[in-house]
Amino acid sequence: MNILVPLVFYAFAAILVAASVMVIVSRNPVRGALFLILAFFCSAVLWLLLEAEFLALALIFVYVGAVMTLFLFVVMMLNIDKLPDQEGFVKFLPIGVLVMAVLVGLMIMVIGPHHFSLNTFASHQMHSSDYSNVAEVGDTLYTQYVMPFELAGMMLLVAIISSISLAHRVRRPNTRTQDIPTQIATHSEDQLIFANVDEKSDPFANVKIKKTKKRGRK
Amino acid sequence: MQTLPVFSAASAEILTGIMICVTLLAQTFLGDKVKQIAYYLVQISLVAAFILLARELYDPAIITFSGMFDDDAFSRLLKLSICAVSFFVFLYSREYITEKNMPSGEYYILGLSSILGMLVLVSSYNFLTLFMGLELFSLPVYAMVALQRKSVINTEAAMKYFIVGAIGSGMLLYGISMFYGATQSLNFADVAKVVADSSAPQSMLLVFALVFVVSGVAFKLGAVPFHMWVPDVYDGAPTAVTLFISSAPKIAAMAMALRIFVDALPGLVLQWQPILIVLAIFSMALGNIVAIAQSNIKRMLAYSSIAHIGYALLGVIAATDEGYSTAIFYIISYAIMTSGAFGLLTVMSRNGVEIENIADLQGLSDRNPWLAFMMLLVIFSMAGIPPFVGFMAKVAVLEALISVHLVWLAALALLFAIIGVYYYIRVIKVMYFDSSKAKQQAVNLPLDKNIAISVNGLAVLVLGIFPGSLFGLCLSVVHTGF
Amino acid sequence: MEQTIHTLTLLAVLAPLVGSIIVGLLCMRIPKIIAHSITISGVAISFLCSCYIFDMIVLQGYPAVNFIAYDWVTSGSFNLDMGFLVDQLTSVMFLVVTFVSLLVHIYSVGYMAEDSGYARFFSYMSLFTFSMLLLVGANNLIQLFFGWEGVGLVSYLLIGFWYQKDSAANGSFKAFLVNRVGDFAFLLGMAAILDYFGTINYAQIFAQAPTMAATTINIFPHSPWLVVTVICILLFIGAMGKSAQIPLHVWLPESMEGPTPISALIHAATMVTAGVFMIARMSPLFELSDVALSLVLVIGATTALFTGLIAIVQTDIKRIIAYSTMSQLGYMVAANGASAFSAGIFHLLTHACFKALLFLAAGSVIIAMHHEQDIFKMGNLKKYIPTTYVTFLIGALALTAIPPFAGFYSKDAIIEAVSLSTIPGATYSYFCLLLGAFVTGVYTFRLIFVVFHGEEKMSNSLRQVLHESPKTVRFPLIILAIPSVIIGAVLAKPMVYTMMGLLGNSVYVASSHDVAAELAADFPGTFAIIFSGFLHAPFWFAAAGIFVSWYCYVKHPSLPVQVVEKASWAYKACVNKLGFDAFNNIIFVHGLKKFSDFLYYVTDVKWIDGWVVAGSGNGIVRISNLAKKLQSGYLYHYAFAMILGLFGLLIWLLVF
Repeated sequence: MNILVPLVFYAFAAILVAASVMVIVSRNPVRGALFLILAFFCSAVLWLLLEAEFLALALIFVYVGAVMTLFLFVVMMLNIDKLPDQEGFVKFLPIGVLVMAVLVGLMIMVIGPHHFSLNTFASHQMHSSDYSNVAEVGDTLYTQYVMPFELAGMMLLVAIISSISLAHRVRRPNTRTQDIPTQIATHSEDQLIFANVDEKSDPFANVKIKKTKKRGRK
Repeated sequence: MQTLPVFSAASAEILTGIMICVTLLAQTFLGDKVKQIAYYLVQISLVAAFILLARELYDPAIITFSGMFDDDAFSRLLKLSICAVSFFVFLYSREYITEKNMPSGEYYILGLSSILGMLVLVSSYNFLTLFMGLELFSLPVYAMVALQRKSVINTEAAMKYFIVGAIGSGMLLYGISMFYGATQSLNFADVAKVVADSSAPQSMLLVFALVFVVSGVAFKLGAVPFHMWVPDVYDGAPTAVTLFISSAPKIAAMAMALRIFVDALPGLVLQWQPILIVLAIFSMALGNIVAIAQSNIKRMLAYSSIAHIGYALLGVIAATDEGYSTAIFYIISYAIMTSGAFGLLTVMSRNGVEIENIADLQGLSDRNPWLAFMMLLVIFSMAGIPPFVGFMAKVAVLEALISVHLVWLAALALLFAIIGVYYYIRVIKVMYFDSSKAKQQAVNLPLDKNIAISVNGLAVLVLGIFPGSLFGLCLSVVHTGF
Repeated sequence: MEQTIHTLTLLAVLAPLVGSIIVGLLCMRIPKIIAHSITISGVAISFLCSCYIFDMIVLQGYPAVNFIAYDWVTSGSFNLDMGFLVDQLTSVMFLVVTFVSLLVHIYSVGYMAEDSGYARFFSYMSLFTFSMLLLVGANNLIQLFFGWEGVGLVSYLLIGFWYQKDSAANGSFKAFLVNRVGDFAFLLGMAAILDYFGTINYAQIFAQAPTMAATTINIFPHSPWLVVTVICILLFIGAMGKSAQIPLHVWLPESMEGPTPISALIHAATMVTAGVFMIARMSPLFELSDVALSLVLVIGATTALFTGLIAIVQTDIKRIIAYSTMSQLGYMVAANGASAFSAGIFHLLTHACFKALLFLAAGSVIIAMHHEQDIFKMGNLKKYIPTTYVTFLIGALALTAIPPFAGFYSKDAIIEAVSLSTIPGATYSYFCLLLGAFVTGVYTFRLIFVVFHGEEKMSNSLRQVLHESPKTVRFPLIILAIPSVIIGAVLAKPMVYTMMGLLGNSVYVASSHDVAAELAADFPGTFAIIFSGFLHAPFWFAAAGIFVSWYCYVKHPSLPVQVVEKASWAYKACVNKLGFDAFNNIIFVHGLKKFSDFLYYVTDVKWIDGWVVAGSGNGIVRISNLAKKLQSGYLYHYAFAMILGLFGLLIWLLVF
């Protein structure tokens, strides 16, 4: 145990807390998302200190690499520059702060060294160099924790189903959408219509009907 | 040497899990050819799970999957009721789903996934499985509320439910993490052991953790002050989904409460008892009082559910075997009543009519006397009028309270029950004594709905007159199960 | 064997219920013939089962069967079961109830033929049979009380069967109210038993009874009462209501507004005897309290005499018989008070036969007279309806206790038993009962002479169409006439004059009260008693009564008018029912009305309705509307509420 470990811990823990606060406080959603990435990153570092390399990397890959990137895309596409001023933010601020302060006070009171001092927990054992975090995780995951693991799988399935069912739109007739294969495989006679302009009938009415029929068949 | 878990203990869960996948595939590939295939498959799986569970109801308890899964008589009884109630729920919903153009496959599949979550939750013997079960049962419900995407109200309700639900889960999870910190275990038996012989400084941490856990549980139950989502979600969701939310999940949530308080934290009984007393009093008071001011029947029933949860908690508060069994009895009978009430609203919401307000029931006794009569049975039972099961359940919990000398609480509960009668009776008055202004046509139902509603309504009556068997069952599972 | 009796008991009790439910649910849709076939076969099944049970338990002497049919409610240590105790007492009651019920069912086919509520009527009657069987078969007090209330309910429904008539509706109302008074006391008695004995099961109560004999309770400060005395008096008040004993008898005459078969079945043969039965059933408790027994004896004897006096001046054929019913019930109750339970039940049995006979015969007269019930508008009917006349006469002789008719044996035994009794009030009661025998002779034969003899006072048009009633009406009359003649002779010895008797150990008599044993010791034999009966005082009193009524109504018809003029106060007193109704009217009705007016207009409307109910109601609605506003619909309000809740709980538990 050298001096470096506590140094790294406190540095990243401090950044983690600060970043988390910024996620909440920041008015600009893009900036908020970036702070969240920072927070993930810091917790990954903390995990590394515990020799949980696999989890640390998974956190970065999955959350930073995939989830947060998606978040950013969405936020940027929506083009929200700044969140509007929350109505009543100031009005509720004092009581909110008061409640928070007392809550935090209580937490500190309870979670102080009184209950979570280093003496109460066995100190962390360093593993030898051939120790594989991945193997260890895999081993427990598929034996001891097989049930929660399977349930987590089920939950992902449910998440997929729900998000698809919420986002997927059944194409209704008469909605105007682009139909690329039809566009490519088009014939000249479809594009250009020679018609006698009759006062009584509107030739373009036919066009619409024709195209609608095609899409309907698809 | 790691031994294989006893898979047969979780046969109902495994079956349900497989059937979710099968239904999903069948709906995707055969959905266009075979109408309502998802509906039939889901109903078949519920019946099969029911049979599996019923066959082994009295088998000895097995704790397996590394001590995470407890297959005992208690869980089997509650799982049986969850399956049975859900069967009726899906039965009532079918026409509603079709007519409202909701994606039917998704409704049933998500519903079945949620049921799987409930089954796991009921059987959990470890905070991890408990939480996984809880999330698996909640997540599909959020989506189900929003299934009718075009409706702004649905989406809003789903959004609220989801966010408030996340806060509730967060509280629960935080509490669990505290318990883990204090006891270094997630297993109920280990936690119970450590809690039982914890020294004084430890107990403050435990109480701190307990408050968070209770809050999480209270949120799922919909007890005051963690009830705010209930009226909005009940009202905002499509009636078929409200029907689902209001019935089986209540059983699962009560099972979660019993698992946590009785299996894991019996050592903290002196701490959780007063908390639950406060929650129960607030729930009974607020539920019964605010329900009076509602004109929307779904909202009214939502407040009524808050009040009923208060009564069911009274059984837990008694903290005796008798008390726990009355809580189980109460919650099962409540599930039967509420599935009847919302079931009636669902099946009546047809042909473009949506039953929203109490006034929509005007003159029901003329339009369909049998339905009106069934509604009358269910509503009377909810109000706690003899000889219906709701009365027996109320008597049972109050008696459990009196036997532990909480007479003042029983008296208070009675007072709120009397206040509650007012709004229940109003529904009956509207059905029977108010003639409808617009000449509405008769309500006719398909045969299967008629049978189901009749079974449901008469069950309320029969169980009220002969509560002995169900009550004995509840008592015996508590004696053997916990 | 025991299993057979289980099954048969359940069958006997449930068969009428099934019939009643089927007919009751379908009453609008099914033709009359099906309605009465279903209910009659239900009751017939019940009757056959009862016969078999009677044979097994009473005649062959199998031990009593006590079993639980259904475990109804379990609540802590308290178990409420639906169970049956089939012993000799129950078997006898089963037989009486189903026998009379069956005959009345058959009789009603003819009597009610023209009525629009035909199916409803049969459904009620079967329901009554079920309730009565539940009552007498119960093995615990709660189930007895169910039956008790069940028969009360059906009685109410049937008195008001012709609910279009004001008098019927009022009569049913009165019956209901008066019975409530008794039921209230009965409930209190049950509660006291539950409180002190911790159970409502007969077997357990009786097992504990000796140990409770000396327990006392302070109702008023410094005046300890025996608990059993209090319990028995409360139970007896219940019996007074149901069995129409003074002063709770006022409902029974009004109940004659119901159809005549009902008067026969419910208000003469079965339901009104429930009180008598209950006292016999609870004999182990009553035997522990001399005070309660004395009260029972005195009330019974008083009722026997005074209701008989009222009967003399009545003019309505059914009311005369109704008053005679009360008088006879008084005899039964007095027998119970003298600890001669077997004699009381014996009189119940014989009375059921001959009183049902009298009522049904009266019904036959009423049909013949086209629903004219005033006896002074009849006369010389023996010429037109001979069968009815003969059967009526048999019933009357039995009622007057002329040997060798059934009533003689039972009534003689009761009067003998009371004369032997030594508890306080026995002498007074003995004289009441003797005079009662005289009075019985007077009113019974007054009825006979005025209705069946003398001049024909009916209108000419009516005379043209007078004819005997249909077969279904006559058949039960003849059937009932047979036991009215012979049953006394057949059963007198085994029932009353044997040491253990037919009832065996199903009733309990303390040795200090055991008048039955003395009776048995003096018993000269079934036939010898007929002749010795002629030497007994009761016979001479009855014969004198008959003679007086013959002298007054046949020999010198002008005499009664003179008597009325001379002793107008006594006549008036009797016509006014000895002032009971007036007393009730002034004290209870008017007094209560004043009081309730006060309660209504001042306390109820103003205080309770105005302030408490409307006030609290409005208050709650106001609170409700306020609390509704809490549900703002804003998500952050919800989240904040949750946090606040959490916060409150934390502060409460951690800081305080």
